[in-house]
Amino acid sequence: MAKSACAPASSPTTQGNDANKQARGFLVHRLNSMDSAWTALDVVTQTMVQKAIADPKTVDLEKLSDAIVEQSLKDLSFCKDAGRMCYAVVQAEAQKAATSAFRRNLLTRLQQEFTGREQTRSHSVQEWVCLVTFICSIFDYIKVNDAPLVALVDPIYDCLFRLAQPDALMNEEEVDCLVVQLHRVGEQLEQTNSQRMNQLFYLLRDGFLLQEDLSSMTRLLLLEILEFRASGWTLTNTAHKYYYSEVVD
Amino acid sequence: MSANGTSRLNKGTSRWTHCRKRGADGNLRKSLEVGEPDKCSQSSRRQESFTTPESEGPVSRVKNWGDEVEAEEMRSNVQRDMHRYRRRILEADFPQRDRKISSGSSDSRDSKDSKESPAKGDIETDETTLIRRQKQINYGKNTLAYDRYIKEVPKLMRQPGVHPKTPNKFKKYSRRSWDQQIKLWRVKLHAWDPPAEEGSDLQQIEEIDLGEIMEFELDVECSADTEFQCPTSSGALLSLAEDSFAGTPKKMMKIEDAEMS
Repeated sequence: MAKSACAPASSPTTQGNDANKQARGFLVHRLNSMDSAWTALDVVTQTMVQKAIADPKTVDLEKLSDAIVEQSLKDLSFCKDAGRMCYAVVQAEAQKAATSAFRRNLLTRLQQEFTGREQTRSHSVQEWVCLVTFICSIFDYIKVNDAPLVALVDPIYDCLFRLAQPDALMNEEEVDCLVVQLHRVGEQLEQTNSQRMNQLFYLLRDGFLLQEDLSSMTRLLLLEILEFRASGWTLTNTAHKYYYSEVVD
Repeated sequence: MSANGTSRLNKGTSRWTHCRKRGADGNLRKSLEVGEPDKCSQSSRRQESFTTPESEGPVSRVKNWGDEVEAEEMRSNVQRDMHRYRRRILEADFPQRDRKISSGSSDSRDSKDSKESPAKGDIETDETTLIRRQKQINYGKNTLAYDRYIKEVPKLMRQPGVHPKTPNKFKKYSRRSWDQQIKLWRVKLHAWDPPAEEGSDLQQIEEIDLGEIMEFELDVECSADTEFQCPTSSGALLSLAEDSFAGTPKKMMKIEDAEMS
């Protein structure tokens, strides 16, 4: 096992080396790709969103929030940035109609999905990953008087803890989701509840060190997030170079 | 999914919701007469939590994200209002010559206010109280009457005594005094009620004010407030209501009866 472990270039097998390069190539690619929530939407929903922002009173906001949640569970590229679009609708409704029906219904739907997350995970890991991504996107963008949505903090931690379990660490999809969300909202989460973040990282260290059947990719992702947090939710220049430089063969 | 102990009132299925502009879910009511049947059946299912101006949020076993966020929003709004108010009192105490006090859309202010205003330390700061008061103010502002009032009478043209003025939630008042001010304010606002399809204006007042007072009743009974003497005061409030309002329609009816006979 140790032979194929993810290792610096100076060391062992070509096999290990290739896996490492591949994994790092993936990281770079992700940095560079632009995901657009907007184009992922169908035309009908796009129109509804535009109308809702222009004049919230003319649109059935509950229906719109349902449509958005539906879409978010199907399309990962959508949910990464969907929070921003949702916030635009929330603000438009607050300013022009002085109500908060859209936000309320969105949160209610999300809570329902969150409650049923274990079932969702067992029939579709993809949907489960979309759900976590979407909730974090909402948390990232939607603020209340410039403060984060405190109500979502514990639920998000619950999701991240689930993703840090041994069975989840076996799926690169889930590990990827875990580290991406920590990059996006980790610092904010820690500010609101540092104890749970500490506990989460105990799990991550354990996973990295003790779980034998993890892929190189997984180990790379875990190591990177461990370093990231240790440096105060940023990467030192040298670490950044290691993980994110263009990989040259 | 959020529920409200007074959901029937807010959903438009009872008599006294004639002039409620919005339902409990925040949506504008499409028809002012009877609440939609679909929504009624939904609301009867969901008595899982109970919100009153007293409680800081839904009193239930499972926290509802929508409710939590709204409660948090109200809390931070009240904090923000308090900072603004404090600054405004300070400015009024040390007026700057060229500065005009602009009329913002807040509940309280006035250069007159500041003269009789409390010493800087003497404003109401208890969050529970402020939130409760803000909710009562919101009930009043969430009416067609209030909408019509502010459109018709710009703030600058308001005459004290004649035009209703929103009670200042930051001033120190006893619970009874505050509730009374709110009641009187609501009564005055009724002058701007939209014309009813049937019945007299007086009938509207009877229906709506009893409804509001019943809401207060509900709140008072369920309140966790121990500083406020619930039994006696609520009793007094109720009898006051009956005296002021139940009396009048009866008188009217008698006259009408007399006229008709």
